[in-house]
Amino acid sequence: MNEELDSQLSAMFDNELPAAECELLARRLSRDPDIKARWGRYAVIGAVIRAERGIALEGIVAGRVSAALSSEPALSVDALQPAGRRLQYRWWQPIAGAGLAAGVAAVSILWLRSQALPDGSQAVAPALVARTAALAAPAAQALRNAIAPAPDSFVVPPVSSQRTTMVVPATELADYVVAHSAFSWPVSRGNLLSALMVSEPGTSSTPARSDQPASGVQGNAIQNPK
Amino acid sequence: MSADASDLSLVRRVQRGDKGAFDALVLKYQHKLVKLVMRYVRNPAEAEDIAQEAFIKAYRALPQFRGDSAFYTWLYRIAINTAKNAVVSRDRSPVEYDLDRSNTDESYDMQGRMKDSETPEGLVLTDEIRSTVNAAIDSLPEDLRTAIVLRELEGLSYEEIAAAMACPVGTVRSRIFRAREAIDRRLREVFEGGLGRAEELG
Repeated sequence: MNEELDSQLSAMFDNELPAAECELLARRLSRDPDIKARWGRYAVIGAVIRAERGIALEGIVAGRVSAALSSEPALSVDALQPAGRRLQYRWWQPIAGAGLAAGVAAVSILWLRSQALPDGSQAVAPALVARTAALAAPAAQALRNAIAPAPDSFVVPPVSSQRTTMVVPATELADYVVAHSAFSWPVSRGNLLSALMVSEPGTSSTPARSDQPASGVQGNAIQNPK
Repeated sequence: MSADASDLSLVRRVQRGDKGAFDALVLKYQHKLVKLVMRYVRNPAEAEDIAQEAFIKAYRALPQFRGDSAFYTWLYRIAINTAKNAVVSRDRSPVEYDLDRSNTDESYDMQGRMKDSETPEGLVLTDEIRSTVNAAIDSLPEDLRTAIVLRELEGLSYEEIAAAMACPVGTVRSRIFRAREAIDRRLREVFEGGLGRAEELG
């Protein structure tokens, strides 16, 4: 061995050698019996300096461990796979945890919304639903009427059949909106209902507007539903 | 530079199937581990058995070692657990041989306990190693002796030794290396002589 290599070995023994140099030297250390023997003697020197009494210094344990492991299979990439899988699993853990937490939160919110509110709100909720349904019922009826041939009291502008299917919701849709209005946010509920009841007298604080034509549509407001 | 770079490079080699790299780790830490285990068991032979078991456990568990902690810290925990388990199982083991112990007290101590390290040859060799190393250290120049003692006895890093000795880190590395080489020259003779004697006895 040359002096530079010996110096590197000494520094490596002290964990003071840069990692890049360690890689190369570790290979030589594991294969060269002379370097390994020197490495073992460095350990003996340290044990004597630390006055480790009662310990066999000639390396009994190392010989026995080496003999015991001679029948063991060498570790391989296959043996490392469980650690890799566990690492991958650990990587997914936060995402899975966040997804689970979000799911639980969503279910909790839906459940809470379906439950009674404190301070008598339980009695208020059905009443609110009934009132909303009552308010929306004329609008739904108006929509049905809009689909049907218009009576004389209504001014139904001519619209194309394609536009009719797009703008006027089906009856089932109106019923759906009304029935679920109790579960929707107040703002969106207001928007939906106001869209349905835009010209219903007494249900809107603003007068019905007829100046919102879309292309090809002129005066689509329902002026006088019954 | 990682403080555990050399151990980690050896560990990675073991994980890739290089058993020889594990031999290097055992050679490096066997004395420390036996001394550690002797906090739990007084008998040196039993401590060696436990240390051996700890090393084998560590080898088998190495695929799970990711290097989050230093290798010796990880090995230390395995050794402590192995020693504690050994003490518990020993305390639970039946003691039927105690009835005969009073009659064969001396033979009991020797029975099944005599390991290589406790044979007369082993004890002589250990004493010879110790006296040789101590003599070699005494004959070292002051700066070399101070450097190697600060490293091995106090466990200081090269940087800390450099600060203590008011010299560059490179000089510390050189001094420690030269100290080891000087001691190793004498020690190698003892090992070779000891092995020769062992072969003669065998």
